[in-house]
Amino acid sequence: MWACDRAAAAAGVAVGHKLSTALGLQPGLAVFEREAALERRTLENLACWAGRFTPTVSLAPPAGLLLEIGGCLRLFGGAPAIVDAVLAGCAEQAYSVAWAAAPTPLGARWLAQAGNGALHPTPMAMQAALAGLPCTVPDWPAEVPARLAAFGLHRIGDLAQVPAAGLRRRLGNGPVDDLLRARGELPDPQKPFAFPEKFAGDLELPARVEHAEALAFAGQRLLAALSGWLHARQLLARACTLHLKHDDGTHSTLPLRPAEASADEGRFLRLLREHLGRLQLAAPVAALRLAADEVVARPGASVHLFDQPPAGEGAPACLERLRARLGESAVRTLAPHADYRPECATRESEIAVDFASAGPSTAAFTPPRPLWLLPEPQALAERSDGPHWRGPLQLLTRGERLESGWWDAGEDAAAGDMQREYFVARNSQGQWAWIFRDAQGWFLHGLFA
Amino acid sequence: MSAAPLPIALAEVLARGDVWCGDTLASLPEATIPSGHAELDAELPGGGWPRGNLTEILVDRSGLGELSLLLPALAQLSAGGGWLALVAPPWLPHAPAWAAAGVVPERLVVVRAGRHVAWSLEQLLASGGFAGVLAWLEAGLDARALRRLQVAAEKRPVFACLWRSTATAGSPSPAPLRIALAAGEGGLNLRILKRRGRPAARPLILSIPRPGRANRVVAGPALSPVAARSAALAALA
Repeated sequence: MWACDRAAAAAGVAVGHKLSTALGLQPGLAVFEREAALERRTLENLACWAGRFTPTVSLAPPAGLLLEIGGCLRLFGGAPAIVDAVLAGCAEQAYSVAWAAAPTPLGARWLAQAGNGALHPTPMAMQAALAGLPCTVPDWPAEVPARLAAFGLHRIGDLAQVPAAGLRRRLGNGPVDDLLRARGELPDPQKPFAFPEKFAGDLELPARVEHAEALAFAGQRLLAALSGWLHARQLLARACTLHLKHDDGTHSTLPLRPAEASADEGRFLRLLREHLGRLQLAAPVAALRLAADEVVARPGASVHLFDQPPAGEGAPACLERLRARLGESAVRTLAPHADYRPECATRESEIAVDFASAGPSTAAFTPPRPLWLLPEPQALAERSDGPHWRGPLQLLTRGERLESGWWDAGEDAAAGDMQREYFVARNSQGQWAWIFRDAQGWFLHGLFA
Repeated sequence: MSAAPLPIALAEVLARGDVWCGDTLASLPEATIPSGHAELDAELPGGGWPRGNLTEILVDRSGLGELSLLLPALAQLSAGGGWLALVAPPWLPHAPAWAAAGVVPERLVVVRAGRHVAWSLEQLLASGGFAGVLAWLEAGLDARALRRLQVAAEKRPVFACLWRSTATAGSPSPAPLRIALAAGEGGLNLRILKRRGRPAARPLILSIPRPGRANRVVAGPALSPVAARSAALAALA
């Protein structure tokens, strides 16, 4: 008995029982034979899928994968992001995983086997976590934990406190070297998984499938592996084929050809689902095989070193980029608003590419208005001959009286009731200003630029 | 024996825009925008405001009519469907005034760039979708940053105008056209500091439409009853 599910475990079946014992405990047990070749192929498919995270993947049979993520931290934005992505991908393909992340491969493997499920970024954190593991976790021969228990050493942390020479004499070199490798004191090179030259993923279905739509799930696992392989080898697939092997020995094929070469798993999956929706199965399907037929190298575009702006993209795209950096409220267009009060006559609005522009204003008389308005009217000093702004101001027009806005009086952030008399004035330095006088005195409101 | 290089016609070289005879103005390869003032057009290379090059206008105080100098050109660009951008304007633009001048307010973009004035300006110039860009640069922008802006504006039909203070008249700048404005008797005193052509001999006095007495419509309040009566009589005649 290698593994049992929760219902069987509730009935009392455990790992290591003989088959007759298990059947005696639970007569209605469904028994499957273990196929090592199938397991190895699945592990290889998973390794291909993991190629989208890192090019250095190692197999740790029977059921382990080592992903070296140190070099990819910056690309994904940190180790937690990679861990989340890996776990999400495994959940999508309906694999249950026990994981751990640590600075050494053997340390990470032991922690994962113990079901640790945490990220240990520094060697100190990893050693603290390893110290708490029982001695049965590493893959040592069965008598080693027994001898260690006889010495009174139950945890790996205890082993570190005992002199290594004595351990070597009693246990042999293997366990002590493993301990040193796990702590990072001995080098531990792993054999990297070689991504195959031509992708061909096999999947045997656990039960015969009669309906075509049910193949989508199995196809998704193969497509995930294909996508990871394309990523790891920097290729795009232009065409791939799904071979279906029926249980009467016949074969049929399903070509998948997206509109343009891509490495996107979702795209292939959508294509597969559409094809499966129309497919009529001649006989139940026993196994699937996915082969990538045409692959092209992925074209890469190099980014400019000095952050040059993209040329010739047009106004709306450029404004989008400006808004992204400066903020939404920093990039606006103007919209005139019909209000006598000058502060309220200008509204800022969002940029719209298509708008119905009002025709030229048909007012017969338009009083002069300045091009610039000050955000707040600026109080002017008053001397004997009138208001002063960088020199005596000479009034050039008769007063234009604006009284408006009684409905806004008392509301905050509104212009309020306004009773002002506006003049166009010029000072001795040749500047033309728009000033007004109200109950509080003379103010400068605008400039005729 | 090496062959001599083929002679290129002098007219082709002069048509490039950055080579000119010593006593004339350069002719620019791209079309220029007429400024609306005939005597200014006569002094500008190409006969108008240049496209695809930086134009620097140096003023030390505002309100002289410096923006009204550009308004005819901006109105023409906006009426033709182009987008205009104001980058880091010193005050708030008053939409009715801009609309009365002929600029469509919906195509006038106000960019409050904060610290990123030079970057925003470079993006706007390089995008090629804007017909006119006016920018108020912060003080202390060196010639290297201006060179980048000039490179971004080249080969694009954009009218780029930078407003700087007269204190920078002495510092070098890669802009091909530099004009200093001051208040003058009877109008705007315009001195062309740098242009592609022979140096400008004397300053120009341009009369800019100003509000007040000069700008009155018939059916408006008059400053004196006599003027109103004569204007009404002129309208009837």
